[in-house]
Amino acid sequence: MTEPLLSIRDLKVEFSTRNGRVTALDGIDLDLMPGETLGIVGESGCGKSITALATMGLIPDPPGRIAGGRILFDGEDITHADARRLRSLRGADISMIFQEPMTSLNPVFTAGDQIAEAIMLHQQLGRAEANRKAVELLRTVGIPEPERRARSFPHELSGGMRQRVMIAMAISCRPRVLIADEPTTALDVTVQAQIFDLMRDIQKEFGVAIMLITHDMGAIAEMADRVAVMYAGRIVEKGSADAILDNPLHPYTRGLIDCIPVLGKAAGEQGRMPPLAEIPGVVPPLHLLGQGCAFADRCPLAFDRCRIETPILDGRSHGVACFATEMEAV
Amino acid sequence: MREGSLLDVRELSVRFAMQRQSLLGARPVLQAVRGVSFSLRPGRTLGLVGESGSGKTTTAMAAIRLTPAFSGSAMFDGVDLLSLDPEAMRQRRRHLQVIFQDPYSSLNPRERVGAIVREPLELMMPEMPKPARKERVRELFGLVGLRPDQMALFPHQFSGGQRQRVSIARALATNPRLIVCDEPVSALDVAIQAQILNLLRRLQDDYGLSYLFISHDLGVVQFICDDVAVMYLGQIVEFADRPSLFSRPRHPYTAALLAAAPSLTRRKSAGYVREVMVRGDPPSPLSIPPGCAFASRCPRAQPKCREERPQLVHDASGSVACHYPNP
Repeated sequence: MTEPLLSIRDLKVEFSTRNGRVTALDGIDLDLMPGETLGIVGESGCGKSITALATMGLIPDPPGRIAGGRILFDGEDITHADARRLRSLRGADISMIFQEPMTSLNPVFTAGDQIAEAIMLHQQLGRAEANRKAVELLRTVGIPEPERRARSFPHELSGGMRQRVMIAMAISCRPRVLIADEPTTALDVTVQAQIFDLMRDIQKEFGVAIMLITHDMGAIAEMADRVAVMYAGRIVEKGSADAILDNPLHPYTRGLIDCIPVLGKAAGEQGRMPPLAEIPGVVPPLHLLGQGCAFADRCPLAFDRCRIETPILDGRSHGVACFATEMEAV
Repeated sequence: MREGSLLDVRELSVRFAMQRQSLLGARPVLQAVRGVSFSLRPGRTLGLVGESGSGKTTTAMAAIRLTPAFSGSAMFDGVDLLSLDPEAMRQRRRHLQVIFQDPYSSLNPRERVGAIVREPLELMMPEMPKPARKERVRELFGLVGLRPDQMALFPHQFSGGQRQRVSIARALATNPRLIVCDEPVSALDVAIQAQILNLLRRLQDDYGLSYLFISHDLGVVQFICDDVAVMYLGQIVEFADRPSLFSRPRHPYTAALLAAAPSLTRRKSAGYVREVMVRGDPPSPLSIPPGCAFASRCPRAQPKCREERPQLVHDASGSVACHYPNP
């Protein structure tokens, strides 16, 4: 059996806020296997991005801190690694692409310079060699006229091209883990499709493991091998993408899937589409989380026990943290 | 003008003069909307679909005269909005409302939400007595699923979905006949998106509203629209009713949009590979190519496509502007 490349165990992240100390991540367990894509899905504020930032050692401290648990990369505990070790990991072994490529690129350097910088930092190459490699990378990520584009500034590139530059930078040192935090949310659909295709190609070619953070179940279907569904700082369900999409167990996962206006569902039919399923209410603010299941107030299946005890994710390959579905299964 | 339409737009064009590139140079002209025609029937929803920069928002805003048009007409209820004098136009504003994409920037942060919803009544229905206005605001809060006691709060005290409910209440205040919905759910989480979409449709049923619905999300469009116009670089490339457009897209761009849209049935596990694919980005609206604007990205482009601009051809199942449309 292969060992996970990245392994997160019982991770707890806390933030001090005006409303006191809040728990942003409450006991997260995740494994990322070599070469696979793990999708992390949930609404805003559920802790998806915090999971990514914690993995990169980028939780701003203060106000945040890792209050418990471990993050293992290739067997090495990097939870409290020092700045020097983290710098050598970031970019070289674990790299990340962000939602908004305009704000994550430096506006005063050319695309080529920014890619070359990462290469020089991690691979001890000279400027000329690094520049040559940067152009090559721009070609790999499908940018036309890479020699010319290497000399372009971020504002001269379209949104799709900027995200390609980000990807070129992220893969420049052949990382083994790529964390993609909503990489296509700011892009048009045809461009999003191209970026997804590119990410799949890169995975095939370099065998990089991808942690894909998204709110979009469609992106999960297209990209992910396995999925973790997050709600209010916890994983409420995890399993293979097929299991989650075809047989969702947690009422929150079911709600997330049912409330999407799915393309192709009765596309050709005359008359109106039936109303969408709704999840009533909103994600509770973290400082108001009390005891019991955080989803109980929005849950159609909630009963007394849900408001008192917190359900634990069971250890099966398709696991769920829900008392109501446990009862159903029996 | 087409029979029985509420809004009938003909040959609408919008141009923006850009900044000079050199001191004595001519100002480059950006052709944002190029001869767009469509009509919207009462009580129905017309979707304007396309990528950013395709001119969908500019088209809608020019049609209700929130952006000046270069040429064309927009007949609303038998009167051309684009040639009305300003006072007459102001009189009609109460029938034309807008819901914007970003519920954070479209509500005044210094005003209580009750006052925000009341403002259209004060501006456009000044004859209404004050107690009646107050009552109307209460009623509107109920209609959109907010509690009357929330009227005294400020926008920042609401979540994104609730703010969008405030925007909807404001748009409904004057009992309009047409509401331009400009990506009203794009900034919202999926679970909240479903709540707002259901609300918009329920309000349409109850009040016979007509929506001009701008969206880049084809799933959303399929849910709420009766007819759909697909725009590319300032022109309509395909127009059809919802069932026809989604089951038999005829323009290659429409087909590519449908292929690119995420769907739960395209699985990595099943080895899904996209078939119809467009590459690159749309050309710049500052230098529109001579032939079909989509030719540079079209998987089926022929030499003719690069030379001759295809016209929108109408038939029983809709309209399409393509030399070689799908059957």
